[in-house]
Amino acid sequence: MTLVEIIEKLGLELLTDPKDFSQVVPSGGYASDLLSCVMTGAPHQGVWVTLQAHGNIVAVGALLELSAIIITGGAAPDQETIDKANHEGVTLLSTGMTTYEVVGRLWELGLRNS
Amino acid sequence: MELSSLRAEHVITDKEAKTIGRIEELSYELRIGEVMTRNFISVAQDMRMEQVLDLFREKRISGAPVVAEGSLAGILSIEDLIRCLRAGDTQALVTKYMARQVVTIRAGDTVIEALKLFTQKQYGRLPVVDESGKLVGILTKGDVTRGVLRALESDYQMEEIRRYRASHLFEDIVSERSSLILRYTIAPRDFACGGQASSSIKKALLRLGATPQIARRCGIAVYEAEMNLILHTPNGGTITAEIEPHLINIKVEDDGPGIEDPSLAMKPGYSTASEQVRELGFGAGMGLPNIERCVDEMSLESAVGVGTTLTMKIDLQPPAIELRHRYAVSLGRWEKTRPAIASRQAGESGPEGEVAT
Amino acid sequence: MKPEEIIAAVDGQILVAPPSELNLVYGCASDLMSDVLNLTHPRTLLITGLVNIQSIRTAEMADLPAILFVRGKVPPPETLQLAQEVGIAVMVSPYRMFDCCGRLFQAGLRGLGKVKNAP
Repeated sequence: MTLVEIIEKLGLELLTDPKDFSQVVPSGGYASDLLSCVMTGAPHQGVWVTLQAHGNIVAVGALLELSAIIITGGAAPDQETIDKANHEGVTLLSTGMTTYEVVGRLWELGLRNS
Repeated sequence: MELSSLRAEHVITDKEAKTIGRIEELSYELRIGEVMTRNFISVAQDMRMEQVLDLFREKRISGAPVVAEGSLAGILSIEDLIRCLRAGDTQALVTKYMARQVVTIRAGDTVIEALKLFTQKQYGRLPVVDESGKLVGILTKGDVTRGVLRALESDYQMEEIRRYRASHLFEDIVSERSSLILRYTIAPRDFACGGQASSSIKKALLRLGATPQIARRCGIAVYEAEMNLILHTPNGGTITAEIEPHLINIKVEDDGPGIEDPSLAMKPGYSTASEQVRELGFGAGMGLPNIERCVDEMSLESAVGVGTTLTMKIDLQPPAIELRHRYAVSLGRWEKTRPAIASRQAGESGPEGEVAT
Repeated sequence: MKPEEIIAAVDGQILVAPPSELNLVYGCASDLMSDVLNLTHPRTLLITGLVNIQSIRTAEMADLPAILFVRGKVPPPETLQLAQEVGIAVMVSPYRMFDCCGRLFQAGLRGLGKVKNAP
């Protein structure tokens, strides 16, 4: 499944610069709001779902080369965070849905961890 | 009965969850046995359709279970009767026209199970059986509606009693103004004890007759303030809750470090928390905004190097008129107040105590 | 969903039984306590990886009846005791949060819809 499908099917909003998302195939998904957990557990090139919207998430995204970070609950990162994400090549997506719902739908679409 | 709050796209705010939710909750709480009709009309297996026609007409029913030796053998509806009349076959036994595969529901199941069946399968009625399979009642949609309304009414009465109790809190105690003061000292970095003060205040309020909504709002507001003291101050602080018949006044004080810009601290997401604090699940910057959402009035006074005083008020009997908030931001202070309420009179009860938004 | 159905869906265990019969409708996944306090419905299951005592307190303040801890994290006895005292059911699943949410969603535990920003 490509990131394009995920963005379309879940109605996510793109916050960072567009890329060719049809070439991005996430390896799995991870949900947690605790950075330390994410750093140790998230799959490389996976999709991270979280409520956190502050600057530190970009560092995590870059480190793990995540396919995308989905920020839930309508939480809005500030411009500085978005700029940093663009600089690092990290894709930030946003939605008003809760983390639980987003993960549920990703699972329904077939996103699994190997 | 449509439970529209079950649709995934519906926005559920605190306020809505309370109003719609009670009907939904009741559907999960009420048992079929509590709302069904016990004195139901049934048809014997050896009866003829002609007798059923008379029975339905006389009793003004549109369906009935068919019973043989006390247990359910089938079910007859108006549609079956019409089929029989069309065929001119009224001398036939009921067994010829009854439906044998009957969907039943247990008396111990909750109303929500029945609602699911009613909406999915368009049945008019459901026979109700007990654990051993014996037919004990009939459930129609009307029974469900009546049952829920009855429960809501009794709910409402309980609510009235509670409100009465809350507004007559200190009735027997004679003074010009009575209040109950609860005081707590909060130690810094005492993470394991965090929440004890807020939990105690919440329990006290419930004990004194406050509604669950008021107790919850108060609990959440004090909890956020309590965790702030534990996580962000060098020496902890104090919490004082003053409970009067119509008002709860809470004061949270500490002696450091002070907030440089209170209006900035009020912004959702703004936080000066350390990574360590974030890893504990806090520091999302929602503390003060959460408090603001829960209380009716709030003011924050702070000076760097001196300390912070947070004052919160919750009305126990909100005014009948909804008033807009007014914000005053001045140097070192942040306030949210409602304009003075001239019309509030003793005993006047307004809409249920939710924060006006 | 009843607690038994929930643990069946996530291969979990009940650590503290609910004080009375419980039927959960919604799921909320979060490790941030303020978020949990902000978004709630009485029949919501809190799914979290935060195993400290404050998750119980937060659930108590928000009137949430049950918590599911993920990644097989079992809280210390004091935490379980507090849960028992305040009447909150505690369950644990070996799966990580992503998988727990996925499975429960598929099993019928609903999400809470879109979040409305606080006024």
